[in-house]
Order: sequence, then structure tokens, then C-alpha cells
Amino acid sequence: MNQPEILRLFMVEEKRSKSSLRQLFAVVWAQLKMMLAYKSWLIMDLLSTFASVVMYYFVGLQVDPLQLSRSGWGTSYLAFSLVGVATSNYLWACLTRLSHSIQHEIRGGTLETIAVTPINMLMFFIGLTARGYLVSLIYLVGVFIVGVYGLGAKLLFTPQSVLMFIIIFMLMLISNQAIGLISAGIIMVYKRGDPLVFILAAINEFLAGVLYPLELLKPFPAIQFLSMLFPYTYALDGMRRILILGASAFDFNVLTDIVVLAVFSVILVPLGLKMLGWGYDRIRREGTTSSY
Amino acid sequence: MNTAVETVNLTKYFKGDSGKERIVAVNHVNLSIREGEFFGLLGPNGAGKTTLIKILCTLVIPDEGTAKVAGFDVVKDAEKVRECIGWLHGETGGRALYWRLSARDNLRFYAYLQNIPPDIARKRIDALLEFFELSKDADRLVKDFSTGMKMRVMLARTLLSNAPILLMDEPTVGLDATGAIETRRLLQALCKELRKTIVFTTHNIFEAERLCDRIAVMSKGKVIAVDTPLRLSEITRKYRGVEVRFRGSSEEAVRILEGLEFVKRIMSVQPEEDYTVIRAEVKDEEQALSEIPKAFGTNGLRTIGVQIALPSLEEVFLSLTGGEHESA
Repeated sequence: MNQPEILRLFMVEEKRSKSSLRQLFAVVWAQLKMMLAYKSWLIMDLLSTFASVVMYYFVGLQVDPLQLSRSGWGTSYLAFSLVGVATSNYLWACLTRLSHSIQHEIRGGTLETIAVTPINMLMFFIGLTARGYLVSLIYLVGVFIVGVYGLGAKLLFTPQSVLMFIIIFMLMLISNQAIGLISAGIIMVYKRGDPLVFILAAINEFLAGVLYPLELLKPFPAIQFLSMLFPYTYALDGMRRILILGASAFDFNVLTDIVVLAVFSVILVPLGLKMLGWGYDRIRREGTTSSY
Repeated sequence: MNTAVETVNLTKYFKGDSGKERIVAVNHVNLSIREGEFFGLLGPNGAGKTTLIKILCTLVIPDEGTAKVAGFDVVKDAEKVRECIGWLHGETGGRALYWRLSARDNLRFYAYLQNIPPDIARKRIDALLEFFELSKDADRLVKDFSTGMKMRVMLARTLLSNAPILLMDEPTVGLDATGAIETRRLLQALCKELRKTIVFTTHNIFEAERLCDRIAVMSKGKVIAVDTPLRLSEITRKYRGVEVRFRGSSEEAVRILEGLEFVKRIMSVQPEEDYTVIRAEVKDEEQALSEIPKAFGTNGLRTIGVQIALPSLEEVFLSLTGGEHESA
């Protein structure tokens, strides 16, 4: 292809219609393609899904069913832990994925090249998050399949319980993603916050009771109080009531969980968007869109 | 003729390393670049070229003044500005690509972000890959590319959008000689035949002379001269300078040089490990070569060498402006 031919290609009339969805699709497509380029990582991740479920199956054999039932969560520790294990990956994706991805884009110098295109940066950030969501979805489905069909965990999957599970699950994503937006905004500016976000996610996972009933925290009121500050605590409570105890949408505890999660979302989402915007504006003011 | 890029008193400060001091990266810059003009920003490292380009492409928010690109304000109408520009940052050496995507996928991704219709994007991607001799490697991951190849992918990406204004920071860095020549020719053709406005930065005065309709010389954040390459090279030719290497007191050396009738001004004093280098503008180089060692010798300074010095642009223009800036 010589120069005159190239120039002719640039003389063609073109009508561009801006489509945010098409741009979002492009970001997700590129992210997935890059993820698939790490083949060994992908295989290891899938293997770890099965390994973790099998591990909790054996841990469950050591747990006294009576003690678990005294906490009000039935007698199967596998069923109890399965809900926590399956959804905790999403907690991590919500809290850490965006800030980690943005740092990666800054380090790679790609944030700048994307920021000078006509894409709405919020769409780009959503696209970055989507990758973590998709990986976590594979993990969630894998954990439930292995746990329920492979190891016989008793979880109630009816159309109503699945619908209720999805509602609480979506509220969990929204409220936790809002915290993820706040941390992404802060990390964008201060660059080295990754360990802090990981600690936050780990504490959150621990306090929400992924692997143990929160009733065990009663002798430690301060810790129990702390656990109430995280939306994931309410999400886990609600999801377990639906899938383990078969609670309906009108169950008082489930409704309380939904209301609390909704309140978290209403407060945190605008704050998260504001912090993300603040962080992005700040790095443009400081000229650090490619500094790390 | 319409104005493609216009800045009025454009200023940007950054925090220094200590976090307290304020460094002026771009200092009250006034520029007016016409549509279809090939415009160069020339200057040493730290002159403010990259910051200026980054402000124009909306990556950096200015602190004072205004900048308009294609008639849109870079702060208020940033999104509209981004629809009109193609940007390249050559100094990244290919860092700013997705290394885990192929060259073709990198371009396809940017075509989506630029809202280029798919059929046009496909043709353009193939053509640009061929032009930049990447067709054979188009489906290999970029991580396996050499720096030069990555640079060619970045150039292809910048041109892909067919933007009317191209803001290019060191576009030929990392290219081999042939690649650099071909790229310069293509940029010239895009400018002359498709009337694209190209603003590009370079350290390379010869590259700037060959390509640009006008050049702005930047130093310490200021634009110290704007003119055609012909006019600027005439100015350069008038400059006469020498470089003196010696051992002994720098203050004494400066005092002696300032006392010599043929020395116009001291340009710089640079202490090295065991000697000092002074660059000075003179009226007569021959006289300087013979007289300076004698003058130093009689005053107890040991001359290591005196030679005619090719001036840096910064020195020439600081000399011409008497240390004052002249913004155009």
C-alpha cells in the first residue's frame, strides 16, 4: 500500500454515530481477549474453583451440625459456606478490580491513549469492571454446580428463591461497587493504595461471616458492630436466608437486609461516582495520568 | 484561513519533588496555529512541549489561560475536542499499547472507541498495517514486537481516526532511518493534500526544518520565538559561540571572559568532575580561540581546551531575546 492509496482511503466520506454501548462492548471485548491470552492463569483459576469447594466439603465434616443449627442456619456447613464462597469473589471484584485495573492502565500508559478518544470515561471504567464480574460469574456458577450437584449441598433453588437471590445479589454488587469506586478514585490520585484495598476486602470478607455464622461474634460486641458497617454482611444474611432457610420475600429479616442494602446503595453510589470523578480530574490537574 | 489551535496565556504549574515548590511547566503561552499548518514545537527536555500537547489533547487541565482546539475549549468542551484529534506520544516507546493484544486488535479496539464505521475501519486498518510494514505480524501479540514495530502500531493508531488535527509528541522516536523518512513523508502528504493540521514536538532541529511551515521554540515553559524554519535558520547562522574547558575558579573565569571585548555574553557555566565548561557567545570565534587561553594563563587558570561551539537552540534564542521571552 503506497502513500497515494492511503490518502485515498482517508478521503472517503464517513458518518460516525456515537454509541456508548459499542464503546463499552469494545472495552469488554479487549479485556476478555487479554484475559484469554493468559491461558495458564485461566486454567489455574478454574482449578482453584473446584479445589476450594472440595476443601470446604472436608472442613464441613469437622463442624458440629448441632452447633450450626443452634445459630439458626440448618445443619449443613457446606451449604452455609457455599453461599459465602460463591459470592465472595464478587466482593473482591467489586472492591479491588477497578482500582487495580486503573493502576494497570496508568502504568501501561494506555489510560492516556483511551482518555483522548471520544469515549465517556465512565463507560471505560464500567468496561474495566465487567471483566472481573464475568470471571466472578464463572466462579459463582462453578462453585454452586460443584457444591450442589457434585457434593450434594442442600440449597433451595426455586424460581422465587432465585429471583430473590438475584435482587439481593444485585444490591450487593451496587453497594460494594460504590465502595470500589471510592477506593478507585483515591488510588488513582495516591497511586499506591492497592494493599489497603486488599486489606479492606479481606476484613470485609472476614467480618461479613463468609465461613462462620455471625452469631459466633456475640462475645465480641465491638467486632460484631464493625461487621454491621459493611453491606456484604446484610447481603450474605439475606442470600443465606433465601437459599438455606427458604425465606420468602416477605420475611422480615430478608426485607430488612434489602432495605439496608438499598440505603447503602443510595448513599454510596453518588459518593463513589463523585470520588471517581474527583480522582480522574485530580490526575489531569496534576499531570499524572501516566505516572505511577 | 481558520484557526485550528489557539492558546491565550496558557499556563500550567506542577508541584516539585518536595511537594511544596511550584514548577511552571507552561508559562503564558500564546499560539495561533492555522488549519492545514504543519507546526513544530522545538526545545530541549523540560521545555514544556509535552505538557502543552497534553493540555491541547485534554489530558492535562491548565491552571491559567485558555486553549481552543478546532474552536472548542479544552476544558469546557473536552469531549468535542477529543472527536477532532489524533494523539501520539512517541516517548513512551510503545508502552501505551495493549501488549496482550495483537497489532490488529489494538487498532480494532481504537476504531471502536473512535466510532469509525466497521467497514471503513477494516479497510483502513489493513492499509495502515501494510503501509507500516506490519501486515505479516498483524496478528501477533504486541508484547513480542520490537520498539520500532510498537511505534509503527502507535502511528497507525493515531492516523486511523482520520482526525483533522494531529497532536504528535516525538512521532519519529524509535523508528529506523527508513521508517522515519516514510513517516515524515506521509505526515507531509496528510498535511498538504488532506489539509490536516499537525502539531508535533521534536528535539531535532533538522526534522523540524524539513517538515514544518512554522516552528515555535520553547524554553522553560515559554515560547521564545515563532517563525518559519527559514527565518529561524538565518538566526541560527548568525550565532557565534565557543566552549572553554579549564581548571580553576569559575568566578574568576567568568570575570575574565566578561572583561574581554569580543565576548558578547556568557551562556552557561557547567562544572564537571575535575574541570569546568563555560559556553559563551562571541563576536569573533578566531580571536576567541587564540585570546582566551592567553587571558586565562596570565590569571592562573589552566585551559584544557577551547573550541567553536554549535549552539543549542535555547542558547541562540535566549541570546537573541536577551534572556527575555517573546511570545507570538
